[in-house]
Amino acid sequence: MFKPNMMVCVIALALLPAAARAQQTNQQLEEIRKQIQEMKDSYDTRIQALEKQLKEAEEAAAKAQTAATQAQSAAGQAKQSAESATQATGLRPPASPSAFNPGLSLILMGGYYNSDQDPRTRTVTGFLGSDEYGLPDRGFDLGETELQISANVDHLFYGQATFAIEDGAISAEEAFFQTTAIGYGLTVKGGRFFSSIGYFNSVHNHAWDFQDPALVQKAFLGDNFGLDGVQVSWIAPLSAVYIEVGGEGGKPVEFPFPDSFNNKNGFQVGTLFAHLGGDIGASSSYRFGVWGMTAENGLTNIDQPIPALDFTNTTNTLTGGSDNLWGLDFVYKWAPNGDPSYQNFKFVAEWMHRSLNGTLTSGANTGPFIASQSGWYVQGVYQFHPYWRVGLRYDQMNEGSYDLGTGLGGAPGLTPPDFTPRRWSAMVDWSPSEFSRFRLQFQQDKSQQGLTDNQVFLQYIFSLGTHGAHKF
Amino acid sequence: MKTFLSLLSFTALLSWTAPALSAVNVFACEPEWGALASEIGGDRVSIYTATTALQDHHKVQARPSLIAHARVADLVVCSGAELEVGWMPVVIGQSGNNKINVGKPGNLEAANYVPLQEVPTLLDRSLGDVHPRGNPHIQWGPQNIQLVADELAKRLTYIDPPGKAYYESRLASFTQRWAAATKRWEQEAASLKGVAVIEHHKELTYLFDWLGMPVVGALEPKPGVEPTSSHLSALVEQQKSNPAKLIVITTQKNPEAAQWLSGQIKVPEIALPATVGGTPGAKDLFSMYDDAINRLLAAEKPKS
Repeated sequence: MFKPNMMVCVIALALLPAAARAQQTNQQLEEIRKQIQEMKDSYDTRIQALEKQLKEAEEAAAKAQTAATQAQSAAGQAKQSAESATQATGLRPPASPSAFNPGLSLILMGGYYNSDQDPRTRTVTGFLGSDEYGLPDRGFDLGETELQISANVDHLFYGQATFAIEDGAISAEEAFFQTTAIGYGLTVKGGRFFSSIGYFNSVHNHAWDFQDPALVQKAFLGDNFGLDGVQVSWIAPLSAVYIEVGGEGGKPVEFPFPDSFNNKNGFQVGTLFAHLGGDIGASSSYRFGVWGMTAENGLTNIDQPIPALDFTNTTNTLTGGSDNLWGLDFVYKWAPNGDPSYQNFKFVAEWMHRSLNGTLTSGANTGPFIASQSGWYVQGVYQFHPYWRVGLRYDQMNEGSYDLGTGLGGAPGLTPPDFTPRRWSAMVDWSPSEFSRFRLQFQQDKSQQGLTDNQVFLQYIFSLGTHGAHKF
Repeated sequence: MKTFLSLLSFTALLSWTAPALSAVNVFACEPEWGALASEIGGDRVSIYTATTALQDHHKVQARPSLIAHARVADLVVCSGAELEVGWMPVVIGQSGNNKINVGKPGNLEAANYVPLQEVPTLLDRSLGDVHPRGNPHIQWGPQNIQLVADELAKRLTYIDPPGKAYYESRLASFTQRWAAATKRWEQEAASLKGVAVIEHHKELTYLFDWLGMPVVGALEPKPGVEPTSSHLSALVEQQKSNPAKLIVITTQKNPEAAQWLSGQIKVPEIALPATVGGTPGAKDLFSMYDDAINRLLAAEKPKS
């Protein structure tokens, strides 16, 4: 016979699995309840989101209706409210009836210029063509108004045009298409565009850090060197470092001299460029560039001489030949923790070399001619307070050497001047928003032998319309 | 030169092989989307976060490093609604990467999938830097995060089909945890309901809306315009009729204006993380919300 205790034990033992099972079931139930609760919570969140969207849509729709009943002037507003009603329903791509219109941006620029010397007779001594890229007129001057239009053309192309409007003339500074769908880091651009050589060359004047370009840019390339042609560029598939290589070919626009024109088939200018860039820590970034280009001087085919070269009061004329340039550029930017809102610093330096050759006629003498010249600048711009920046720039040109062939050896006045053109610039600008800027710039320009030209610029730049995105 | 070249080819080799280890290269415009991509994508994604919580995301520069990372990206995740209008178009345009063009599966604009607040009825630049499509600082709405997570899982599945089950299970897990956390935050923050605040920029709108905290003023006179002394004086005046109990800014902002006002109106000022990484505590999406709510609660409690 079993002892009662034993009996209890046995019963307990027999029941144990059942109890355990019951507990297990309870646990499972608990688990399921928990999951249901979690699902409920999750759905609650989503239902709340949807209810909120609905409410907002209704509110916005009501707003649209109210607006629609208002006077005619409110019609535009009603449209916007209706759009926001559509918007508030969420879960849809952005849409608006005007979305297919291209982005429009208008730049208003102008100011006041004061100088010791007559800007119309200023040159950089010893540099052919430098007299053609003039300073602004003295006194108040509207300068250039810029209209930029851009949009994706379709699923394959993007298009952009920038028109410069000046008194009596509208010129297409840039008007190009660009591929968006090739992939593999390749982009092809065609039409008229600013060359990607150098740092400031492709930057439109409203985005410059000073009122005018560096001396070397102005003397060798003009404000911006552009071409009618094709550009191909490629970005290496490396996340660790930015490497871009590219080239351009076509017909130069106003180059090497503003009235240059070349009546011939094929390419008249070719460029190659490479960029390397990256970050240094969280606060600094840089880009380094190297480039080269070669251009035919043109004009020969229409028997027109290239503009005069004035070394030492002797008038000389260059025909034919080519203009070969190469350069280095470097930009470094700093902002605390990468946030430029309060403070930032930008440093740019460029060096360019030009070898200009052709047939020179100097008085009664004619012969082959090569001028090897260079120039450089460094500049720093510091934003010390939101909206306020100060900048300093130093420019210097190197007269270089002239290689005079037979026939020119005895020509008078062809000795390179013993002179180094230099210029100092200082500026302060105030930009109360991303869309407006006022700038005051002082410049001591000693780029013409025997002259000191103290210059003062007061400039405004306003940007209306589409919020532009700027390159590094 | 030789060492430089070998260094270059070495880094080239490194970066060529590194992304190949993961299925999907994600370029996150802001840290919150990097954190979300990590929640949903786990080990199958390699994430590059283009900005930090200490940067003003309107004013980022289209730096070469961003273009280099966009070049190799399979998926770009941005807030959208024109928050990145000053830099992303250049970054995408210059990258030569057709996978991340706007409208492609590899380009996810978060704002397209959430109901945006503060959609302006009048678009005029005299009103400051207004965003035509609405307030783009959507990372502070828990529902927004969930909605973007849903879409992100879809995009990742589209780009990396073999990972479908993986992304779905991670989304399910995230959804569960996020819903539970949201509920917990709502309970914890119940006492914040009705606490009036003065903000700096409209970047915490979704947070205040969610927690029921009325915004009675902003340090910025207009969106994107830094505080001015005349505007701050007006806020001091306004305190008499329409008082605030807290001044709330983010750690990205210069605290001077908030500190000055705090001294004038005797109301505490605190800085929340603008996004993940904005404070030491804000390590991911969950801890970012925890940190913000804890900071709000600590500031709101009267000191004993």
